[in-house]
Amino acid sequence: MWRLCIICIVCLLTSGCWNRVELNEIGIISATGVDWKDGKWVLSHQVVIPQTISSQSPSTSTAAPVNVFSTSGDNFRIATKKASQETTRQLYFSHNQIVIIGQEAARRGLEQVFDVYLRNADSRETVTVFLAKGSARRILEQLIPLEKIPGNAIQRMIDFEEKNSSDFRQMTMHNVVQDLLGASQATGIPSLVVGGTNENLDRSEMLSITNTPSKVRLYDLGLIEKDKLVGWVSKEESFGVMWLADHIKRTTVAFSCAGDTERKQSSIRIISAKTKLSPARSGGKWIMRVQVKAEGGLLEYNCGGDLMKPYEVDKVARLIEREIESLLEKGWQAVRKHKADVVGFGSTIHKKYPKAWKEMKGDWPEHFSQMDIEATVRVKINSTGMSGSGFKQVQKKSRS
Amino acid sequence: MNKQNAEAHTPLSPSLQANVQAIRSRFGESSDVVIRVFRSDAAPGRRLAIAYVDGIVDAETINRSVMEPLMSLQLPEYVIEKGARLLEALRGCVVSVGSMRDIHTLDEALQYMADGLCVIMADGSAAALTADVNGGEERSVGIAQTQTVIRGPQYGFVESLRTNISLIRRVIRSSSLHVQIHKVGKQTHTNVAVLYVHGIVDEGILKEVYRRLAAIDIDGILESGYIEEFIQDETFTLFPTLLNTERPDTVAAALLEGRVAIIVDGTPIALMAPTTFFSFFQSPEDFYQRYDIATFIRVIRYVAYVVSMLLPALYIAVTTYHQEMLPTTLLISLAAQREGIPFPGLVEALLMEMTFEVLREAGLRMPRAIGPAISIVGALVLGQSAVQAGIVSAGMVIVVSFTAISNFVMPEFNMAATSRIIRFGFMLMAGMLGFFGIFVSGLFMLIHLASLRSFGVPYMSPLAPGGAAQGLFRDMFIRMPWWAIVMRPLDMKMRNPKRRPNKKKPPAQRHSGKP
Repeated sequence: MWRLCIICIVCLLTSGCWNRVELNEIGIISATGVDWKDGKWVLSHQVVIPQTISSQSPSTSTAAPVNVFSTSGDNFRIATKKASQETTRQLYFSHNQIVIIGQEAARRGLEQVFDVYLRNADSRETVTVFLAKGSARRILEQLIPLEKIPGNAIQRMIDFEEKNSSDFRQMTMHNVVQDLLGASQATGIPSLVVGGTNENLDRSEMLSITNTPSKVRLYDLGLIEKDKLVGWVSKEESFGVMWLADHIKRTTVAFSCAGDTERKQSSIRIISAKTKLSPARSGGKWIMRVQVKAEGGLLEYNCGGDLMKPYEVDKVARLIEREIESLLEKGWQAVRKHKADVVGFGSTIHKKYPKAWKEMKGDWPEHFSQMDIEATVRVKINSTGMSGSGFKQVQKKSRS
Repeated sequence: MNKQNAEAHTPLSPSLQANVQAIRSRFGESSDVVIRVFRSDAAPGRRLAIAYVDGIVDAETINRSVMEPLMSLQLPEYVIEKGARLLEALRGCVVSVGSMRDIHTLDEALQYMADGLCVIMADGSAAALTADVNGGEERSVGIAQTQTVIRGPQYGFVESLRTNISLIRRVIRSSSLHVQIHKVGKQTHTNVAVLYVHGIVDEGILKEVYRRLAAIDIDGILESGYIEEFIQDETFTLFPTLLNTERPDTVAAALLEGRVAIIVDGTPIALMAPTTFFSFFQSPEDFYQRYDIATFIRVIRYVAYVVSMLLPALYIAVTTYHQEMLPTTLLISLAAQREGIPFPGLVEALLMEMTFEVLREAGLRMPRAIGPAISIVGALVLGQSAVQAGIVSAGMVIVVSFTAISNFVMPEFNMAATSRIIRFGFMLMAGMLGFFGIFVSGLFMLIHLASLRSFGVPYMSPLAPGGAAQGLFRDMFIRMPWWAIVMRPLDMKMRNPKRRPNKKKPPAQRHSGKP
């Protein structure tokens, strides 16, 4: 009995602790950038410096909260390996928040990126993927006001964007891979640019003034087909794509008054939206019937008419419906041009007409670009806010 | 030795002188042995003697009930003739003490004297009488110190067995409360009382308790802890298999649940058996408070117990092996705290835990007057300064403190002490193997727990082995309202397993009092 105990204890003591890593031996990476430069992959890492972030240490204001460095190699892991030649700590990827892929790299193909993420346990598929209009490293170097760790900040930015205005959608590595392995083999990834002046916001002192010369901004939606970037669609078009693909959570839609197509003076807060796609064949062509149902309350209304009367409210709803229809059309035209089925039409047809899908899946992008959509939008206005007909109407009334 | 053995059953001599001599010499001429030889009108022509040990008898009672009647009364003629009859007459007509007994050997006489009884001897009689005049200084019944409650009776046991039994008698006023007294200890002859409620207790368990008590062979029993170690089922376990308490109401409750209580003279701590793991999580107050509050507190207690056992181990495992399990911001702030800490997480944790254990023990042992000094040293110097000096991280201080506080939640001190020891095992395993180590050791602990028994009752019952009656769970993790607790909690065959006939709330009249 005692001998057994001693054997157990010795086994534990001699073999234990082999993969122990103390917290002060790891370099926590908050964001990774992938660039393609001179025939090599360039990996940039944004490493968090915990001392400057913690509220305990005194030197919070002056020191930068992160450090960015790059290594290059023929593949990702070789590049990561080289990191040990210039850092003191073991790079720790499990808390990586975002991966930014530079335009060059995205055009070249992302097969290798996906392989690294699917093969390794420490690279998580929950990281959010972005494209960069320029180099990815440039964005990693940028500090972001209000937040300490830029990687986290960008992650929050897209999260907030998706939940509140839905122009873009948060694409995790998992989403991306799922889309690319799905029926349509295409996906859309939002991109980041550094807006404002071209000045680099890479020193903490620059955050000590009330305005920043440049900032990171969400920009166009990059369309990926197979594993390559094939084109960009603008923010407005991206909004339409989100409506088509049923990714609207909450958003605000601006609309113009009846007869006035120039200015969009009013807006509605959409609190729930649902898009239903139903494919149909008409003649030799495929048609996608897009049914959108949305609900919301008026935020701004400057078109006149007595909103105390239900039929007036209905009229407003029609205006909004027309607006959303035009958004859908814009989005549709954009993706159709690039022949990239990022709205999931392919998988809808695949589900409903598997046999037909089998025939055309070989040249689906062609079929896709020849499709048409028939949009029907139903908008329900739940509330007109606390004021009924608007300031102007009341003013008129009070004079008479 | 041989001589002593021969004397073990020495009969009393008919000669008073010889007896007095023998008693004196056997007590080694101790100065507190009082032997008074006198003549009395009660028995003219014959000398009488009373012998007792001063200090453990009540002098008042001796004077009033033994000496006075003996010296003042007169016996009828016919009694005086025969020696044996004299004592009988004294017992029957003269001495006015409740409990009296005939004895025939010297050893009995000595034993009773040592017990605090008074021995009455008469010339020409080879027997003697004992009178129970027990007394002397003792602590009066006061507030229970170790297990305090807000609602419920406040008094606790004292060192006197007699008083302690009376305290329970006052709660269970029934002839079915039986008390059996055993003498244990060759030198101390300590009175050990076994209490049970006849008709509820399982006779098998009762017999087992008697058997185990009878098997104890030791020179002295100074506290119930001696008894506990002799009669517990398993010695090599960290988990206590007997409950102890200094509260009479807790003992009474245990008796009504079909348990056997063992009270040892000279200590306010009573033992209760059989017991299960879950009964250590029940405070007497659980049953006095409203059931919803009691349930809430009981759940907190279970959580706190797990925390006090596992928290440092979890902290070590997460920070050295499984950093990916933490939210990013938490990880970063922990990492910031650990910057510049010279020790690995395990060493840091062991250091702090040991510090705390030392502080705690010091707090118990040192003279009361130094108390505040220790708390200042402990709280300020060790906590704050250690962090500022960069020797331990602030997170670790928080973990260790919360672990320590959680440990104090346990109502039973011995169960709390168990988690203090086991904690170190978990910490070592976590330091070597991470979550895997914690899981494996947790599994071993559970297997061990399931293998334990207390007087034949499975330690983890009613949870394991399965198949226990549903009613037993009504007072385990939660406490149902009293009217719903129909079953007595022990999972064993009891003569009378039900407390109440059925699970029905007594009806309440809504408008009682109104015409």
